[in-house]
Amino acid sequence: MSSGDEELAKDLGPLAALTIGVGTMIGAGIFVLPGAAITQAGWFAVISFVLGGAIALLTALSASELGTAMPKSGGAYYYVNRGLGPLFGSIAGWANWLGLAFASAFYMVGFGQYIANIVGVTGGIDLGFVVVTWVKLVALAGAALFVTVNYIGAKETGRLQNVIVIVLVAILAVFTTVGALRADPANLPAGTGLTPMLTTTGLIFVSYLGFVQITSVAEEIQEPGKNLPRAVIGSVLLVTVVYALVLIVMAAAVEQGFIAGLAPNEIAVVEVGRLVLGPIGAVALLIGGLLATASSANASILASSRINFAMGRDRIVTPELNEIHPRFGTPYRAIGITGALILVFIAVAPIETLASMGSVLHLVIYGLLNIALIVFRESNVEDYDPSYEVPLYPITPIVGTLVSFALIAFIAPVVIALSAVLVVGAVLWYLLYARSRTTRQGVLSEYILSRADRMPDTAVSAAASVQPDGGQYRVMVPLANPENETDLISLASAVAKGRGGTVDAVHIVTVPDQTALQYAADHLEEHEEDYHAVLDAAKADAETFGVDIETHTIVSHRGVGEIFDAARTHDADMVVMGWGPSGGSRAESGIDEITGDVPCDFLVLKDRGFDPDRVLVPTAGGPDSELSAAVANHLRAEFGSEVTLLHVAEDRESGEAFLAEWADEHGLGDAELRIETGDVEAAIEAAARDATTVIFGATERGLLRRLVSGSLVMDIVDDVDCSVLLAERARKRSLRERLFGLGKEQE
Amino acid sequence: MTERDRLLARPLLAVANVPDARASARALAPYVENPERVVVVSVVEKAGGAPDKAPMEEVEAEAERAFDAVREVLGPVETDLRYGVDVVETIIGAGRDHDATAIVFTPRSGGRLVRLLTGDLALSLVTESDRPVVALPDPDADHEGAADRYRVEGEEEGEEPDADDGDDPDTDE
Repeated sequence: MSSGDEELAKDLGPLAALTIGVGTMIGAGIFVLPGAAITQAGWFAVISFVLGGAIALLTALSASELGTAMPKSGGAYYYVNRGLGPLFGSIAGWANWLGLAFASAFYMVGFGQYIANIVGVTGGIDLGFVVVTWVKLVALAGAALFVTVNYIGAKETGRLQNVIVIVLVAILAVFTTVGALRADPANLPAGTGLTPMLTTTGLIFVSYLGFVQITSVAEEIQEPGKNLPRAVIGSVLLVTVVYALVLIVMAAAVEQGFIAGLAPNEIAVVEVGRLVLGPIGAVALLIGGLLATASSANASILASSRINFAMGRDRIVTPELNEIHPRFGTPYRAIGITGALILVFIAVAPIETLASMGSVLHLVIYGLLNIALIVFRESNVEDYDPSYEVPLYPITPIVGTLVSFALIAFIAPVVIALSAVLVVGAVLWYLLYARSRTTRQGVLSEYILSRADRMPDTAVSAAASVQPDGGQYRVMVPLANPENETDLISLASAVAKGRGGTVDAVHIVTVPDQTALQYAADHLEEHEEDYHAVLDAAKADAETFGVDIETHTIVSHRGVGEIFDAARTHDADMVVMGWGPSGGSRAESGIDEITGDVPCDFLVLKDRGFDPDRVLVPTAGGPDSELSAAVANHLRAEFGSEVTLLHVAEDRESGEAFLAEWADEHGLGDAELRIETGDVEAAIEAAARDATTVIFGATERGLLRRLVSGSLVMDIVDDVDCSVLLAERARKRSLRERLFGLGKEQE
Repeated sequence: MTERDRLLARPLLAVANVPDARASARALAPYVENPERVVVVSVVEKAGGAPDKAPMEEVEAEAERAFDAVREVLGPVETDLRYGVDVVETIIGAGRDHDATAIVFTPRSGGRLVRLLTGDLALSLVTESDRPVVALPDPDADHEGAADRYRVEGEEEGEEPDADDGDDPDTDE
């Protein structure tokens, strides 16, 4: 990405980022809840809002650090999934998604109250078996409207948000200033005690969900290292101050009992506004309430599609959810499903339940997010390099975790039970659906499993038992002709067996561009007689190794290029393919067709009669020869191969030291070590005379691609007489990109 | 050199998504001798100071898939992924930067083409452009969306094609 594009792509400035947070939060807190809060807790309601802000602030600090380290779509879900693994990722993802849907439903019911108040209707429609209140009807209509707006994708709504936030802050500033003049401490309703205050905090916590949505669009923020913490922390501080001031005014500017004495259809903040500012004040606050609840709902619906996107990217849910509408350019499926959930929630649950469900589910995420931060810090993950760091680590995230979880205890038991059901549901979802699909392990289990000898057994077995198995290592073998099928399948089976994985034999049938793929798929016999024979043979061969095998036929207009695509769509961890005169690779469509790096590990066999008896691994270190070592290990395990390691060094002594250490590190300590000096190619050729198979690591990125497509000839491969295996490691499997996905921008 | 050759000597092909890219590439194919002279542009629509309507990474990925779809038909074309609030303006800017002889697009039947190139956007492309705009007929127009259903990656064994219309999917030209 050039710097010009970078500027265009990241177009959220500091103010825009701040207004996402403020705009999402301010609606509920101040326009819907103060009446209930003051009625429940007396003037302690002020403390409830400040306490809620303090709890949110602790998590905001952690979210800022994680956000600057990983400015990626998906926010809180993303950090939990990377840090704690997909089991907790599934919990966080579902909690985040459903929490936003509950919160949006709550905002829309608030919106309904405002409309009903403006229109002046009370009661509802009697449908015979149930009475639907006008408030809920308006809420349903409003939700349908905002879901539609996001489904169609009007970019104007986003920019409108900035204006709305400024208008709201202005209205509230006038309200607070004028109200303060009337305030009299004698008016303050008595505090009702600690427990009601904490219960009230649980209820109003739904007012503090917005800041984390800033992190969900982190990839669009300019200079996230600087602007993201400012927006996240700033929005929490700003709304906490606004809430506290408005609450003080509301409690102190009107006589005791005024708020408790309001009719159910009267909105506390509006009635206080009427008293303080006159009818104009009431109108301003009514409009403010409408704008605020609408912008909160709109921002939450948009944010939920980012959560869906990130979950789909990790295969916690199907990536098909993320499909972009061809006409509207929106993730219409994700938005449609979220919209349906919101409508259902509005219809079935009372407003307090909606608010509390939103709160509890977000508190779960906040607790997990703080733990994820501790895991990232403690496991010394390479490349975890946040530009903002939480102050007073580890106290801040530990306290943040504890208070987030502790606050849940003060929320209505039925809501806690319901949330527990959702969390259990998310765990089952992971075990039954996502585990076989997702491939990303969390930092936590990598940390535990990589230190298996030093960790408590229970931790190790727990980490191992919930590891993703989609996950399960897949070795894809593209087969073009029957000649080297047995050799390729033998090789692939050895690797698959060593990794406890499966073999995926893929037969690619290339058809001319003029032929529609669907037509070709229906009439395969016309393009290739007996097209299934090679797959049947592959199946029989794999079974002799006791390895599970799947077979697929792919119809394509392309030859080699299709292998790269298929490796991606089939979630292959390794591709084993043949190449050369009999390898069946076709370079007719040109090399430019295959762009980018290999999508997974590649093993390419130049087959001169596959014989794994004596395996030679020349190495100079590096990631690709690591793959060579791993393959040599698998061959030894399966075929009892004799492995020889070759290193060509400047001087014998340092070469010996290097090779001995390298062999130990790669589990080949007992292999024969051979040190040569002088010309590399000559040394390899000489050593290869004693070998039946040579495994080369591709020393250069994209080497295989060019080799396979015929644009590069490696003399050495032609100069040795035995079979040659070329190994190229996928770039994407580097820890850096697996964790942070930063690779692309770094290139 | 004929007039037609000069007009499409360096075409800038604007594509929105995979089905559009495939159709546009097929429509342009008869006029292309050297694919390396073709620039394919796709625009990631930005909200300009507000969160985008869709996750940016997903839109970028779709654009890359659209580029692949064009390459599949035309060969090694040049590609350019652009970001812009005003899609039409961004395409016109790309035409200028690449010194294109014409901006090419395919208005597809039934308005399936992203709004980028439908309705008034097609009109504003035509009216605002500082260079020729060529609208090519959609080669699939008679098939009513038949091409959309073919997966770009090819069909896996055993997978049933959508069977919502009885058209026998035959060759495209």
